Amino acid sequence: MHAEPAAVRVATMNFVVFVDDPGHREWVLERAQRVALKHPCRLVVLDATGMTAGVALGGSRHDVGVVALDAAAILSLAKEHTVGDVPTILWWNGIDLLGSETFARLAEIAQTVVVDSSGLEQSESRIKDLGEFLTGHPAVVLHDLAFMRLGPWMDMIAQFFDDPALREDLFSINSLRIQSGSDAEACYLAGWLGSRLSWQPVDASAFRARDGRTVSLTREIKGDVRRVLSVVLSSDDSTYTAALSDDPNTVCLSVAGAKAKATRCAPLQNVDNVSLIERALLKNAHDRIFETSLETARELLC
Amino acid sequence: MSIQLGSLVRTDANGAAANPLRAGLDSSRITDPCSIVFFGASGDLTKRMLFPAMYNLRLGDILPSAFGIVGFARSTFSDEQFRQQMRDAVDTFSRTGPAKEPLWSDFAQRVSYVSGDFDDAEAFRRLRARLEQNDRELGTQGNRLYYLSTPPSIFGKIVEQLSDAGLGPKDQAHGWSRLIVEKPFGTDLESARALQAEVTKVFEEKHVYRIDHYLGKEPVQDIMALRFANVIFEPIWNRRYVDCIQITAAETVGVEGRGGYYESSGALRDMIQNHVINLLALVAMEPPISPAADHVRDEKFKVLSALRPITPDLVPKVTARGQYGTGLVEGNPVPGYREEKSVDPGSNTETFAAVKFFIDNWRWADVPFYLRSGKRLARKYSEIAVLFRQLPHRIFGEGGDQIETNTLVMKIQPEEGVSLRFNAKVPGPSMHIRSVTMDFNYGTGFGVVSAPAYERLIGDAMRGDATLFTRWDAVEAAWQAVTPILNRWQAVPAADFPNYLAGSQGPQSADALLVADGREWRRI
Repeated sequence: MHAEPAAVRVATMNFVVFVDDPGHREWVLERAQRVALKHPCRLVVLDATGMTAGVALGGSRHDVGVVALDAAAILSLAKEHTVGDVPTILWWNGIDLLGSETFARLAEIAQTVVVDSSGLEQSESRIKDLGEFLTGHPAVVLHDLAFMRLGPWMDMIAQFFDDPALREDLFSINSLRIQSGSDAEACYLAGWLGSRLSWQPVDASAFRARDGRTVSLTREIKGDVRRVLSVVLSSDDSTYTAALSDDPNTVCLSVAGAKAKATRCAPLQNVDNVSLIERALLKNAHDRIFETSLETARELLC
Repeated sequence: MSIQLGSLVRTDANGAAANPLRAGLDSSRITDPCSIVFFGASGDLTKRMLFPAMYNLRLGDILPSAFGIVGFARSTFSDEQFRQQMRDAVDTFSRTGPAKEPLWSDFAQRVSYVSGDFDDAEAFRRLRARLEQNDRELGTQGNRLYYLSTPPSIFGKIVEQLSDAGLGPKDQAHGWSRLIVEKPFGTDLESARALQAEVTKVFEEKHVYRIDHYLGKEPVQDIMALRFANVIFEPIWNRRYVDCIQITAAETVGVEGRGGYYESSGALRDMIQNHVINLLALVAMEPPISPAADHVRDEKFKVLSALRPITPDLVPKVTARGQYGTGLVEGNPVPGYREEKSVDPGSNTETFAAVKFFIDNWRWADVPFYLRSGKRLARKYSEIAVLFRQLPHRIFGEGGDQIETNTLVMKIQPEEGVSLRFNAKVPGPSMHIRSVTMDFNYGTGFGVVSAPAYERLIGDAMRGDATLFTRWDAVEAAWQAVTPILNRWQAVPAADFPNYLAGSQGPQSADALLVADGREWRRI
């Protein structure tokens, strides 16, 4: 009982990390470890890459090799290595999502599931899967780092319309153009705007507004993965542009046309992946804005 | 899936349809456009604290997209010269390091300066013209926040001039006007009441934000969370279980070139009457019915109005005062208070004050609250310690083990967090007991850096959230509590000053205050 030095060891959560892509393994484990260092938790790494053999215990961290095991066995190991009475957060880094029986099983023991749809080859299908998962698991708190990463951009776009004189333009927007380095960002931004403004998706390139107006959507892949380059909203007589400046941490906001305003620059609060994961861990409540945005994005893509 | 988010059409503070894109975004953003005027803009506080705070609010994207900053002071500067001074201030004092481009240029073009005396009506007319220009060119919509970072003796004059220049709340056709007042609010009960009368001729109480930067500190706000978001503390938070409460605000610095100010102030006015009494109110108040500003402030006022009055004859028995002499602080020799610049060599000003208060209500009857604050003490340290009673019956303690009482400590600075001392068995065949401490630190607990108090408080005032500001009734009650002590100390000069060494735990008279009650101070 007293073989270890006296210490208070606290776990406020189980942080279960699943990874099956050998090329992604180090990236995931390094970030998981950094999160675990800051937040008292039981870190359980379920490693399906084949690079962990058996079980390695190190203080609050348990590395469990699960390659070639079936979903039931993996669930059993996850239960064995997690502690009771604290919430379980699953950070899923599997290549597959809904097609994975392991994901389905692990999601049963998780109160919160964290994923990252950004940068995947099949971002669109991942977003569709997530929407379906959420419908089938309404009690699970779901966070997508790809959506969380967009918070600063949403804030920038909202800033245009903090000015009451420009606000009514929100209801005459007829086109939306998004340039981003990967698909998930554009899908989520479109889903967010659509859900906030009650636009109904028509197809992958258009919404129908409540007054019957068509809002065209153009998504263009450009720039670095996981980053947005620009968002342009056009109304009947004005164009609102938020675009990354030469400094990647600054966005310039301009309004052209009838309601033209001087360009101004604002800091882009880029948030690193570890911080995003931390936010997801600490926020143990449903993010209704994300959920409605996801639903709209899914409808857009279906 | 159907998720109800409510109607799209909501209204903001001015009755306009709210921005539907704001729903669910970080609520720390301030959405009301406004101009903020810093009176005393060439002073040290503006350079060290206020301007870096404004810049970091901008950097954190907390400021609204439409804002303007106007500096007002006697010194003659052009807009450009003032901007350069403020850039130097940000480069030197900002917690985020030197200003960055292009954000600084974007920020600086919203900064302007009005030069003038505080009794010069023409200068206030120029200020009005500047604010109206901001409304037109920066879109600040007639919203104004006035920050009085000047000596208190000028507060009344500035408020009067604002009114005469048509800049008071009653003169506005649209928008809001708020007034932030730095401490001290008055120098005693009488002057505070006179100042309040002057201020309220122009600004209603709900528009006055009396700043106490202690209240903006994250651990101070956590006192409410600790008490009212946990079920385990409240049942023992009373006279039945609590032996005493000790509140300490200790500094290692001296008067830092502010000898002239400090000579007319002293530790009781400078710290106890505001910062430390506010901590007492937070730790002793009843649960408010909601976190709304007035619900919290109602409860704080009730506590302060229940402080047992200290009559002049009681002052020597329930207080201790001190003044530092020469000594060593952090290994370096430092001069005594009377050798500091602008200090009277025979000064009677106290640099250390300790007071024992009682709160006459059901919860705290006969529980002493020991408050102390001083300069040039052994360590920079602020805390609230709740010391619990002795065990009713002792069954352990082989070999004369000391069984310490449980202590809950709310650490305010420089460490921020909570620690709990309890007793545990020492491993082995015998039943030896030893006290251990369980620590929670903000830095490691949540992995986030707390924003400095001024950033939080200026942001709150811009939002119209007065929760962390002191209402007049509490200020008046605090002055009522300390005025008899001030009067007595002024009437009877201390015979033993200087009576503690710089770098020490304070004067012996402070120790004696607790020894007389069979207690001792926690070590600084």
